Amino acid sequence: MKFKIFVSFVAMLAALSAADVSQAAPPPGFDDNEIRIGQWGPQTGPAAPWGSVARGSKLLFDIVNEEGGIHGRKIKYFIRDDMYNPAQTAAVVKELVERQGIFAFVGGVGSATGMAVRDYLAANKIPWIGPAAADKDFAFPLNPYLFASYPLYKDEGSILAKYIVEKLKMKKIGILYQNDAYGKDGLEGVKERLATYKVGLVAEIPVEPTEKDMASQILRLKTAGAEVVLMYLSPTAAVITMKTAANVGFKPQWVSSNTLSDYPLMFKITGGLWEGVITAALAETPDSKSPLMIKYREAAKRLAPEERWGVFYYAGIVFADPIVEALKKVGRNLSTEALLKALNSTKDHQTLGPKVNWTEKQHQGTDSVMIHKCGPGASYILLQDWTTNDLATWKK
Amino acid sequence: MPFGQLLVEGLAIGACYGLFATAVVIIYKTSEVVNFAQGEMAMLSSFVAFHILSVYQLPFWLAFVITMIFSILLGVLIEYLFLRPAKHPSILGLIVITLGAEMLLMGLAGWKWGAEQKFFALPLNPSVTYEPVKGMVINNWAIAVFIVTTSIMLLLYVFFKYTRLGVAMRATQQNKHAAKIMGIRTERVFSIAWGFSSLIGAVAGMFFASRATLDPAFMMEPFLRAFAAAVLGGLMSIPGVIIGGGLMGLIENFFGYYWPHWKPIVAFIVIILVLCLRPSGLFTKHFVKKV
Repeated sequence: MKFKIFVSFVAMLAALSAADVSQAAPPPGFDDNEIRIGQWGPQTGPAAPWGSVARGSKLLFDIVNEEGGIHGRKIKYFIRDDMYNPAQTAAVVKELVERQGIFAFVGGVGSATGMAVRDYLAANKIPWIGPAAADKDFAFPLNPYLFASYPLYKDEGSILAKYIVEKLKMKKIGILYQNDAYGKDGLEGVKERLATYKVGLVAEIPVEPTEKDMASQILRLKTAGAEVVLMYLSPTAAVITMKTAANVGFKPQWVSSNTLSDYPLMFKITGGLWEGVITAALAETPDSKSPLMIKYREAAKRLAPEERWGVFYYAGIVFADPIVEALKKVGRNLSTEALLKALNSTKDHQTLGPKVNWTEKQHQGTDSVMIHKCGPGASYILLQDWTTNDLATWKK
Repeated sequence: MPFGQLLVEGLAIGACYGLFATAVVIIYKTSEVVNFAQGEMAMLSSFVAFHILSVYQLPFWLAFVITMIFSILLGVLIEYLFLRPAKHPSILGLIVITLGAEMLLMGLAGWKWGAEQKFFALPLNPSVTYEPVKGMVINNWAIAVFIVTTSIMLLLYVFFKYTRLGVAMRATQQNKHAAKIMGIRTERVFSIAWGFSSLIGAVAGMFFASRATLDPAFMMEPFLRAFAAAVLGGLMSIPGVIIGGGLMGLIENFFGYYWPHWKPIVAFIVIILVLCLRPSGLFTKHFVKKV
């Protein structure tokens, strides 16, 4: 009897420890029939308008699956709401990796949210392609599992400054920048470019993200005689800026980062004041006639009729497309190593966004932006096609 | 330096802070509770106005009247549902209840209207401006703020000085038990104070929303500024908080013009200095705790 109890006790222990082992290693991210890909993004909370990125990626995967998948495997796609809160991001990513088994992540809105999981993903050898934020810390120093395709704000600032001086022929430039990495990177790029023309900024004014009264800042720009004002701001701060400027009779040419390039939204929340604003852009205009744009736009009408065809929605396609391309290149013999190898040989890959190039030594995929202008009724006017930053030091 | 322009803008935003601070003070004066849900009550009322305007497309003035009625009911309801049931409450306990109400209201607005910023406008053309003195542009928004704030102040003065209810409210504030003995229904007075405060807050909230955007978190920052203005003015005196708000707006704008880096904190530094030198604020006598 005692022996029997001992045997069953040992058997129980063995079973428990076996279960333990199976929990320790995360389940594999693919099998013969499917490849599991995940993305986090704010579907609720203060940054919910950017949540469409993750849903845009879904459209691409739905199209891929509709066309028969990739080498016999369908893509199973998981979206998790992190409410733009880094603690939540860490939790939802861990849940996906350890419960579902994820082969790779794509997109992911936010710098802080991405930083919360960057090292965890690398430690688990899970590739992360196309973060939906421009953070220098994503691509520098090189992380073998992280592939960035969002143009850095510094490159964007430099390209915008060049456009202002050379095309708009304006040299009295002021800037309002959010007092954090986003705004400061943009400022740095603008200054670097202006230094080559020996032009200084007439006013450079930091703005706290929570600021609700911008009168003194706007008056400073007005008194400095700025003909053009660059904005590296949040949507709310930009609205306050436009309304306050209208109130004090200040009418410069406004130029902004691509973060404010959702014209229908900006037009609506500024009550039409957004018309005439020039912005950098991450992707073609929504009404572009390029064959790929037409294909995706039509597919969205069919597969996701409830979605608005906005820039952040189809940016989700731009961020997710390189992994589809790499998976096609890998073939049937799938492994993380094979995917990394394929991603590292990405050359001049382009869909609706800029050309992306990744090598084993360089994971910042692009430095290009387009320049658009908001026309009447929130329409898009293309001012300048894809432009690279010839001053980008990281490329050398 | 555009002195006149900074003066106008500083006073206009300051009047907004002062108006909202008045809402805070009305509740504080009657029950000694700092209502942390004040900002979100105003937010919810502004959303109701937005909803009436955008969904039912009613004219602004009708929407305004409905919103005012809603805001009064909201204030009364919060007092009745959340604060009144508290058994033998301490002041701290009541303050924590208002914090809970704040989160509840914010969640409610997020659920009903979403987190995306909304456009909210008063029926004033933002592009029409006047220049009475050269270099001093006054816009419709600022004019509306000055007129509304002044009118509300005058009405409050008349109300507290000459109406039975106003006198009853002052009596309750001075000594709740004595007021009760004299036949004043003090609980009803509290409800009315909450309704009043919510109404004034809603007016200020609509001014703030039309200046920026409308979203569930839009009143957090203005509430902090207004609360600081109230502390500056002494938390007990309504003219005091209006002057406190004005000072706050002026300090921020003049300081922010020269040192934009310091704009978000300069007002709070001034408040710390004032509290060190005059702990009860600039415009009240030293506060002695009632026993």
